Amino acid sequence: MTITPHWLRRGSRVFAVLTFAAASFFGAIPARAAETVNVYSIWPENWARPMFEEFEKATGVKVNFVRFSSGEALARVIAEKNNPRVDVLFGGPVETFAAGINEGLFESYKPPSFAVLPARFKQADGQWVAIADDPLVFMTNEKFLKENGLKAPASWNDLLAPPYRNMLQMADARTSGTAVTRIFSILEVNGRDENKAFDYMKKLRPNVQLYTKSGGGGTLPVGLGQAGGGIFFIVDALDTKAKGYDVSISFPKEGIGTAAEGIALIKGAKNPELGKKLIDWASSPAMQNQFAKYKVNFVPAHPDVKIEPSLAEVLKGAKIFPIDAEYAGANRKRIVDRWVAEVLNP
Amino acid sequence: MSAALPGVRDPALLIAVFALWALLALFVVYPLTMLFARILTDHGAFTTTGIVAVLTDKHQIRAFWNSLLLALLVGGWGTALGFLFAFTATRARLPRTLLWAIDAAVLLPLVSPPFTTAIAMIFSFGPRGLVTYHVLGLKGVTVYGLASTLASEVLTYFPIAYLTLRPLLAAIDSNIEGMASSLGASRWRVFRTVTVPLCIPGLANAFLLLFAASLADFATPLILAGNQFPVLPTQAYLQITGLFDLRGGAALSFVLLVPALAVFLLQRYWVSRRFYVTITGKGAGQAPFDSLAPAIRTTLLAACACVALVIVYFYALLLYASVVVALGANHAFTLQHYRVIFTDGLKAIRDTLIIAAFAMPLGGFYGVLLGYLVTKRAFIGRRTMELVSMINYALPGTIVGIAYLIAFNDPPIELSGTALIIIACYVFRYGPTGIRATVAQLQQIDKSLEEASQGLGAGSSTTFRRITLPLILPAFFAGLGVVFIRSMTAISATIFLVSISWSLITVKILENITELSLGPAAAFSVLVVVIVFVVIALVGRVLRLFHAPGAVPVTSLLGC
Repeated sequence: MTITPHWLRRGSRVFAVLTFAAASFFGAIPARAAETVNVYSIWPENWARPMFEEFEKATGVKVNFVRFSSGEALARVIAEKNNPRVDVLFGGPVETFAAGINEGLFESYKPPSFAVLPARFKQADGQWVAIADDPLVFMTNEKFLKENGLKAPASWNDLLAPPYRNMLQMADARTSGTAVTRIFSILEVNGRDENKAFDYMKKLRPNVQLYTKSGGGGTLPVGLGQAGGGIFFIVDALDTKAKGYDVSISFPKEGIGTAAEGIALIKGAKNPELGKKLIDWASSPAMQNQFAKYKVNFVPAHPDVKIEPSLAEVLKGAKIFPIDAEYAGANRKRIVDRWVAEVLNP
Repeated sequence: MSAALPGVRDPALLIAVFALWALLALFVVYPLTMLFARILTDHGAFTTTGIVAVLTDKHQIRAFWNSLLLALLVGGWGTALGFLFAFTATRARLPRTLLWAIDAAVLLPLVSPPFTTAIAMIFSFGPRGLVTYHVLGLKGVTVYGLASTLASEVLTYFPIAYLTLRPLLAAIDSNIEGMASSLGASRWRVFRTVTVPLCIPGLANAFLLLFAASLADFATPLILAGNQFPVLPTQAYLQITGLFDLRGGAALSFVLLVPALAVFLLQRYWVSRRFYVTITGKGAGQAPFDSLAPAIRTTLLAACACVALVIVYFYALLLYASVVVALGANHAFTLQHYRVIFTDGLKAIRDTLIIAAFAMPLGGFYGVLLGYLVTKRAFIGRRTMELVSMINYALPGTIVGIAYLIAFNDPPIELSGTALIIIACYVFRYGPTGIRATVAQLQQIDKSLEEASQGLGAGSSTTFRRITLPLILPAFFAGLGVVFIRSMTAISATIFLVSISWSLITVKILENITELSLGPAAAFSVLVVVIVFVVIALVGRVLRLFHAPGAVPVTSLLGC
C-alpha cells in the first residue's frame, strides 16, 4: 500500500537533475582576469566607481568591487579570514580599521606617501593609511528653521533650544563611527570633563527623535523635514544639499571633530601586488586630486592636495579639530558604554 | 502501516529520505555547527565569557521580551487579517474582477522588497508625514516604536496568512456548513462551531509562519522600532555590524531559536489533536451554503477595502517616488531613475533573475517532497526531519547568512562567491513555506479517499496522480511562488552572500537608500513588483492548462 508513487520518483529525479545543473553551472568559481584587483568598498558606489575608473585609466588594472557599509564589510572580511576574497578594504572611518587590526585582518604596507602623511593619517606599522578626512557639521532643515524663527545653529548650546524638542536625528554610538566622533567632539569642547560632557548629552536627549544606526541615516529625514536637524559628516551633508534638499550647513563656534577615512591591504590577499598598487595610488595626490572633479566632498588627506574651492568656502572660519586617536582609543569602549547606560537608556 | 525501516519494500523512499537528509545536513546543520564552533572558540580555545556578558545584559533581555511581544502581536493580528481576507474572498461571492483586485492588493506587500512599507510609513505618519502633518496638522508626532513597527509588519506579512488560509477555506466542503445550517444552527453558530474549528490547522500554521517571520525580521524594526523598542534580530545585527562582535551577535540570534521552536512544537501537538478532514469525497455537488448575511457581507467587504486602500496608497507613493527627481524636494517628472537602473543596475537585475529562476523550481520540489514524506510516510526521524527543515526559516537571516559565509568560504566545501550559495540559501530558507503548505493541505485529505481509489482498482501511482497530486498542487505552487518572491525580495541573509561575481537587486536597493538615492531605490522596487506579478501571471496561465478537476484553483492562490 505504501509503494512510493511515480510522481515522487520522477519528482526526486527532476530535483536531483536541477540540483546537479545548478551545481555545475554555478559551482565553478569564475575565472578572474590577470590584472584585476578585488575590493570591498565602504564608500558609496557613486564615489568609489569614478575613482576606480580613474585608477584603471592610470594603471591598466581593473577594480572588481562591491559596496558594503563599514560594519557589513568588516563582518565579511572577518568571516573570510582563512580564505580572503578581496585584496583591499577601501574607504570607511579609521575606527573600522582599528577594529580590523584587533582581528588581525590586515597586512602592513607603507606606500610612498606614508612618510609625508601626518601621524593621525596613518597607523604606525602601516596597517592602514588615510585617503581622506571628514569633519562633522550641523545640518538643519531650512524650512524648519524658518517656521521656528531660528538661525542655523552656531553653538552646541543652540541645539538645546525648545523648538528642537523631538526634532533631531543623529547616529547611535553602538554602531556608528560618526556618533563616536560626535561624542569625543563634545568631550573635547568641554575640556575632556566627562561629567560636564555627559550633562550636556543628557540635556540634548529629549531633543533627539531617533539615534540612527548609520552615520548618514538621519540626513534624508532632515532633508525631508521629518527631523529638524542633526550632526553628520560633511560628505553626507553636502550630498544631501546636492540632491536638492533645502538644508543649511553650519559649525559650532566651540569647535567640532573630524575623522579620517582609511584603506588597508588584506592579510592573505590573492593579488597583493595589485592591492599595493591601488593603495599607492589612493594615498597619493593621483587619486585625491580627482575628488573635486567628481564632487566627492572629502577633505584630502595628502598634504600636497588642495581643497576644492567650494568645499573650502564651506569650511571657511570653521573651528575643526582632530580627535586624539590615543585618547579616543583608550577610552572609547568605556565612554560608549556610559553613553548607552546614561544617555540612550537612562 | 509501512515498516519503520523503509528500504526493505520501498527503495525510492529510502533514496529520497537519504538525499533529503544529506541536503539538510549540508545546508542547515553544517553551517550552524560551524557558526556555533566559531561562537564558542576564541583562537582555538573554548570560551563563553563574551556570550554570557551579552546574554545577561539587561537591554538585550528587554529586547528579547520585546521581540516575543511583537511576534505574538504580529502573529495574532496578521492571522486575523489574513482570515478576514480569506473568508471574504471565499464566502462573500465576489465577482471575479473584485476578487482579482483584492488578490493583487494583498500580494503587493508580499512581493515588494524590504523597507518599502517602513519607508512609506515614515513618509505618511512621521513628524512631517503626509497624513499626520499635512492632512491632520499634528505636530511633534513620534512614528518610531511598537505601534508603527507592528502596523508595518502586519501589513507586510498578513498575505502569508491569507495564502495559507484561503485554500483551506475554499476546500472546506460547504455541505458540512449547509448541514449544520439545516439542522437549525444560525450562521454565526455555523461559523463558530464548524468553519473556525475546521480552519484551526490553517490558523495555527498561519500564526506560526507570521510569528517566525516577525521574529526574524530585521529590516522593519531597523527603520521603525526606534530607540524605545529594541528587538533581538536588530540587536543581533547591530552587535555584528556595529560592534563587530560576531560571537555575541550569533549568540543573541540563537536565543531566538528557543521561542521559534517552542511555538512550532506547541502548534504541532495542539493541532494534531483536532479533527479536520473535510475532503471526504462523499456527496459533493450540492448548492453551496450561503454563509453570510448581507449586512455582514458588506461590513467584511468594507474592512477589506480599507486595508487594501492603505496598501495601494503606500505603493502609489512608491511609484510616485520613482518618477520624480527627489521626493520631498523636487517633484518634477523624470525617467532618469529607470535609466540608471537599466544601465548601472543591469547586472544586478540579470543576476537576480537567473538565481530566482533556479531557486524557484528547486524550492517548490523540495517543499512538496519533504512535506509529503513527513506527513504521509513513516520512517525513522520523521519529526526530526521536519524540525530541522524549519531551522533556517526560523533563524534571523543575518545569522543564516553569516553561518553560510563561514561554512562555505573555506575548503572542503567552497561555495562563497558563487550563485549556488545564494540559491541554496533561498531553497532551504524559504522552501519551508512549501513544506508547511503541503503538510496543512495533506492533513485535510481523508485516507479513505486514497483507499477508495485503490479499492476501485487504481494503482498507487494512478491514485497519486488523480487524487493526491491535484490536492497538493496548490501547496506546491504556494511554495514555488514564495521561493520566487523571496528570491526577488530577500535581503537579510543574502547581503552576506552576494559577491563580486553575483549581485542582487535588493542589495542595490539598500545601497541606494543609504546613499539617499530614493529615486533609484523606488524604481528598483517598482521593477521587482512588476517582474513578480508578470512571472506569477505566466505561471498561472501555464497552470490553468493542467487544472485538475476537484482541486482548489491553484491560480487563485497566486493572485491571478
